[in-house]
Amino acid sequence: MIALIRYTFATVLHTQRYLAPLFLFMGLMGVLTVNGSGPLPPAYASSAGALFVCSTWLTIALMSLDDPPQRAIVVITAGGRSLTVLLAAIGTALLSCLVLMIFGLFFPLWMGDYVVTTTDLLLGIEAQLTCALVGIAIGVLCSRLVFKRQGYALAAALALVMGALFTKGMPPVNRLFTLMATTPDATKLLAPTGVMLAISAMILAMFTAATQFIAGRRE
Amino acid sequence: MLRLQSVSKRYGRGDWILRDVDVEAPAGEIVAFAGGNGSGKSTLLRIAVGLSRPTRGTVAARPPVVGYVPDRFSPNERMSAAAYLTHMGRVRGLATPAASARAGLLLDRLALVGGKHAPLRSLSKGNAQKVALAQALLVEPGLLVLDEPWSGLDADAHGVLAEIMTEVAASGGTVVFTDHRESVTRARATRTYTVGKGRVSLRGPEPWATEQRPAADVVLTVGRDGRVPQGLAWEKLDGVLAVNRDVTGVKVRVGRESTDALLFTALQHGWSVERVTETTTDHRPAPNAATNGDMR
Repeated sequence: MIALIRYTFATVLHTQRYLAPLFLFMGLMGVLTVNGSGPLPPAYASSAGALFVCSTWLTIALMSLDDPPQRAIVVITAGGRSLTVLLAAIGTALLSCLVLMIFGLFFPLWMGDYVVTTTDLLLGIEAQLTCALVGIAIGVLCSRLVFKRQGYALAAALALVMGALFTKGMPPVNRLFTLMATTPDATKLLAPTGVMLAISAMILAMFTAATQFIAGRRE
Repeated sequence: MLRLQSVSKRYGRGDWILRDVDVEAPAGEIVAFAGGNGSGKSTLLRIAVGLSRPTRGTVAARPPVVGYVPDRFSPNERMSAAAYLTHMGRVRGLATPAASARAGLLLDRLALVGGKHAPLRSLSKGNAQKVALAQALLVEPGLLVLDEPWSGLDADAHGVLAEIMTEVAASGGTVVFTDHRESVTRARATRTYTVGKGRVSLRGPEPWATEQRPAADVVLTVGRDGRVPQGLAWEKLDGVLAVNRDVTGVKVRVGRESTDALLFTALQHGWSVERVTETTTDHRPAPNAATNGDMR
């Protein structure tokens, strides 16, 4: 698994496909959180939103790196287990998101004027992780394994991202943002955000299983 | 022994690509699938290696270590061949130094042109194919599956490929490959299946052993004007049964029905015909017999 993740990282670094989602993340962070003040939760909601869009894009890019013959070789090299290869791609996306998360956690503190508590930081981690997991889940489902044509994949990803962001009260993403925007006290938010994190982990597991099933039927 | 038992395959509700296929590929044998384009050979190989699941039927006794060489390998990557192979070796469970040493060894043996450290995307088709072959051999495979391995490789690599296939079989592995030219499968395989319209049938050695097939020994030399003729991959030409090279020229045994075509091609490439003698093939050529002249 570690070898597969290293290989995926190496290919994505060589192709530079990570640059566009990375710039998008930086740009959104800049626009949404610079010169903020007051309670931290709304600022971390912005970090989480930026990470959501970025993680979806990054995952789609990661999963479309290898063309079919190359992917076939990787699957056979990994002992014929295509699920391992899929999980390695997800692991790579998750590790990348963890790095971005650190940036999303401290950039608002550096650029704005906030009173920081440990609970705030914990909430920031929870919120960003929730969004990263849902973003990766959408990215996995909208990858080359399910959609043969990039245009349809993009349209589906866009629809799912928009739906998750803007459908009123829809857990976990929209619900999380509503909570964080309306409750300034981080201690009251930890438990409901934890629930959202659990829901997003389930969504990732479901979307991964669906992708594996659909890709298996295609072969 | 890899065994496919009444395997059928179709995608969704489409036409059957394979129907009731029974294949046995014992250890130590080189098994060939001959058939035209679109006959289902590649699908059969994908099922054999486990990339694709059969709609009906089972695949039994697949060895744990499988090497797979697809028919097209055109990576659009900036990674170098050496780095790519090292990564693949690590995925196979080798330590980094072992993987990189093995990669270097294989690339040297296959004589990769363009450099081990050149980006994969800059390699020509034949050289990319060599990298594809190398990745399948990083760990000695119990089952080596090659899809149209002879296409794209240069004549020197043909010899190495034949050697590698023989080695894998000799050390108890199974080699399976496809080709659309019967002359190739006949020369290289110990067991040949014919694939056509989704059906697969074993072509026994009997017809070749019993039937006295007319053939001709063609001796070709350098022309009188001293021009050096162009090198030809004789083994790849239709109907060629055996090739013997020496300093002055080359002696090719070719089926009677293909003699005219062979002479025409040879003349076009600047060879001079010294002698054509009629003969018969009273035995089936041993595997790799046709490549003897090619081993260097």
